[in-house]
Amino acid sequence: MRNTAPLIRVRDLSLTHAGASDPSPHAITFDVHPGEVVLVLGPSGSGKSTLMLALNGLIPHAVPAAIEGSVHIAQVDTAEASVAELSTHVAMVFQDPDSQLVTGTVLDEVAFALENLRMPVAEVLARSEAALRRLGLWQRRAWNPDRLSGGGRQRLAIACAIASGAPIIVLDEPTANLDPQGIDDVYDALRDVAADGEHTIVLVEHNLDAAMTFATRVIVLDHEGRLAFDGPTSQVLREHTTELINMGVWLPAATIAARRLRASGLAIHEVPLTATELRDALPSELPTALIASARPVDVTLGAPLITVRDLSVVKHRQPVLHNIDLEIATGSLTAIVGTNGAGKTTLLQAIAGVVPPPRRHIRIGELDPATASPRELAAEVGFVFQNPEHQFITTTVFDELAHGLRLRRVSDVDIHAQVTEMLVRFGLQKKAGVHPFLLSGGEKRRLSVGTALITHPRVLALDEPTFGQDRARATELLTLLHSLRDEGTTILLVTHDLQLVADHTTHTIVLADGRVHAAGPTTELLSDRAALEGAGLRLPVAYRALPPELWPLLRESATAASRGAA
Amino acid sequence: MSGPITSDQGLVPRHPVVVPDATGNRDPYAEAPPAPARLYLQHLNPLTKVAGVLPAMVLLVFTRDLATPLAFIALSYALMLTGARLTRTVLLILFVALPLGVAAIGVGFSLWVDAALVDSTPAMLTLGSWTLFAGALEIGFATALRLGAILSLALIGGLTTTGPDLVRAGVQQLRIPYRIGYTALAAYRFVPRFGHELSLIRAAHRVRGRHGGRGPFARLARGWGYMVPLLVSSIRHAERVALAMDSRAFGAYPTRTERHLVPFRARDTVFIVACIVASAAIFVGLFPWQLG
Repeated sequence: MRNTAPLIRVRDLSLTHAGASDPSPHAITFDVHPGEVVLVLGPSGSGKSTLMLALNGLIPHAVPAAIEGSVHIAQVDTAEASVAELSTHVAMVFQDPDSQLVTGTVLDEVAFALENLRMPVAEVLARSEAALRRLGLWQRRAWNPDRLSGGGRQRLAIACAIASGAPIIVLDEPTANLDPQGIDDVYDALRDVAADGEHTIVLVEHNLDAAMTFATRVIVLDHEGRLAFDGPTSQVLREHTTELINMGVWLPAATIAARRLRASGLAIHEVPLTATELRDALPSELPTALIASARPVDVTLGAPLITVRDLSVVKHRQPVLHNIDLEIATGSLTAIVGTNGAGKTTLLQAIAGVVPPPRRHIRIGELDPATASPRELAAEVGFVFQNPEHQFITTTVFDELAHGLRLRRVSDVDIHAQVTEMLVRFGLQKKAGVHPFLLSGGEKRRLSVGTALITHPRVLALDEPTFGQDRARATELLTLLHSLRDEGTTILLVTHDLQLVADHTTHTIVLADGRVHAAGPTTELLSDRAALEGAGLRLPVAYRALPPELWPLLRESATAASRGAA
Repeated sequence: MSGPITSDQGLVPRHPVVVPDATGNRDPYAEAPPAPARLYLQHLNPLTKVAGVLPAMVLLVFTRDLATPLAFIALSYALMLTGARLTRTVLLILFVALPLGVAAIGVGFSLWVDAALVDSTPAMLTLGSWTLFAGALEIGFATALRLGAILSLALIGGLTTTGPDLVRAGVQQLRIPYRIGYTALAAYRFVPRFGHELSLIRAAHRVRGRHGGRGPFARLARGWGYMVPLLVSSIRHAERVALAMDSRAFGAYPTRTERHLVPFRARDTVFIVACIVASAAIFVGLFPWQLG
């Protein structure tokens, strides 16, 4: 494979965004040869996405950034060639499916780049058809791309990349905005593309479980954007596991699970990267003492705080929820899960009164969210939207936190005291005067939770709180949720991430087609295959690989937190 | 549920036939099924339908009578009823929305007219000290019909042309740089996204207890509060779209391959000439600019 010249040649590359003080990536050097599948890892801020933009010349041609060193693509210096010229060598697939589709039909979308390159009509059609057939989209060529699912739209973006004939495909977190079904759709397609040997793939990805099956090489950037590790996938991940964890880089679920098991005393010597390897690495006989210690801690919960009786919701004249009956106990951390369109967000919004539900079907304590005033509701339920920016309504972090108190006519002295306390708790004390939109992603998320909590509601409802976040931010939020729960807040969240559900929640509600498919303590639901699979969901990777006796050990972080509080 | 405007459909279509999306909007990009030859408006170049009616639309602005706009409304309806695909939406626009609009504007303007100007005309309605004069009604309805006539002329093209075809015709016949035309088309895709985003922002602000009271000023203040998050996300979105388009060689050459030719044929010339002759005939016949 190494007998050919490198397709991508990066030499001492440092990139500094306009307005940034330090370069990231910082002085990195590497070559990529034809047929390689390179996975690029690194914590947020390490410059992974910036590096991707430099590979097709968007940096320096379209995005202002200071560039040192050089990037050569197929022996062409990217500083000398235009982005359009480079597009025949490098095709890009971005994170957000919505912002990379520009035409009105699936066929026009694939043809777009080919038409821009002035290929003859016959060739445009032939290439488009071949690419769409390969991705299974040919039957839908007349569709508006908006009608495709998120996974379908990313497959369309991959079809566009293949049609362009570029030998290099660069993908920047192509599955970060997708649900599990969408992630599978995209990786089925990528595995197929990687297998033909004609494409070289460079991939930034958080979801390592899927990428593990076909990535041949890993490049890791550290916090400062320097090249930390570069080598074959299994070698880098197995030999540097601890360093990678300390950097805040995501690792395969099987690797993390093995570390937790080892920490609880199970003799696992290898570092497994996939579910199969994890299963093989287990000792043939599990020590009984360990299993006895792994009994799930009984979480004693209070009386039901939220009661839903025979709730049906109709949206745009389509029934979304049918006859929902639920009880949510005081002090629980409950997840609402289900496939796309199952009605998860609608249920959460109805309970929290975001979209007023029909009267007399929901009670939170003594309150009916259908008839409560916004002020009464805010005292009882805090709601955190998926995108924190949506809910910011003032111009400083301080005012943002004070808003809920001012509506309740709290005295200025008390407002100052309570807001200061909240600023300290969320590590925002230095940001009190800053505009909320100028905070970093993690700070925005913390502020949005803080604004929901300032009135001390008994219930905190969160819509997809970890969606599209890196591991450090997701962990930070979950730690916060555990500490809130220990203080007595009842937490209700909607999520696609079943790993999160399995590791952290006490109860789970599984929705399917607008009905409650199953509901109960999370540990019971996980051991009942029908509960998840019947709703089109799957156990998370590590749970699939391990016998149920070991599952409580995986929840160590969650149970430790509640034990500490007890 | 997942991402901003994820459609609820999976990879396998639940509805094999084309259906309107959940919000009931028609897909503005959908290629219309081929129309039968007798629906001549569907087969004209989009620019033809603009060029044919434009002179009449401009001149209508300067009329003040009732007959001229009525004649043009009749002409446009005749063209649309014989030459356009008459879907339910089209019929609702032509026979419900437009007449109601004209009636509402007509009554509105009649009430607004300064009574002193028309108090020599017969009184139509007297309520206490207030009188509605026939002259006021006439002025009101002349205005409303004028707007109705201009709108129905515009509908000749509007109801029989898709956005992409208009852009293609602009690029092919008017030599508008394709970068402008196709960027406008791409930007059109933002509209439903922003609508969805705005509804989320409003829900989020309502939950925060942002009310600020009733009335137009409070409403304006609230709207301003929605602007900042909407603008921030729009700019971010536009930047991403621009990068994605650049990466796909958009603007590489002054022209691009056109798979869909929108020809300008003899029938287009005939249509334009016929339209202008008919317009001239109406203006000459009814000559609405006589003094008095």
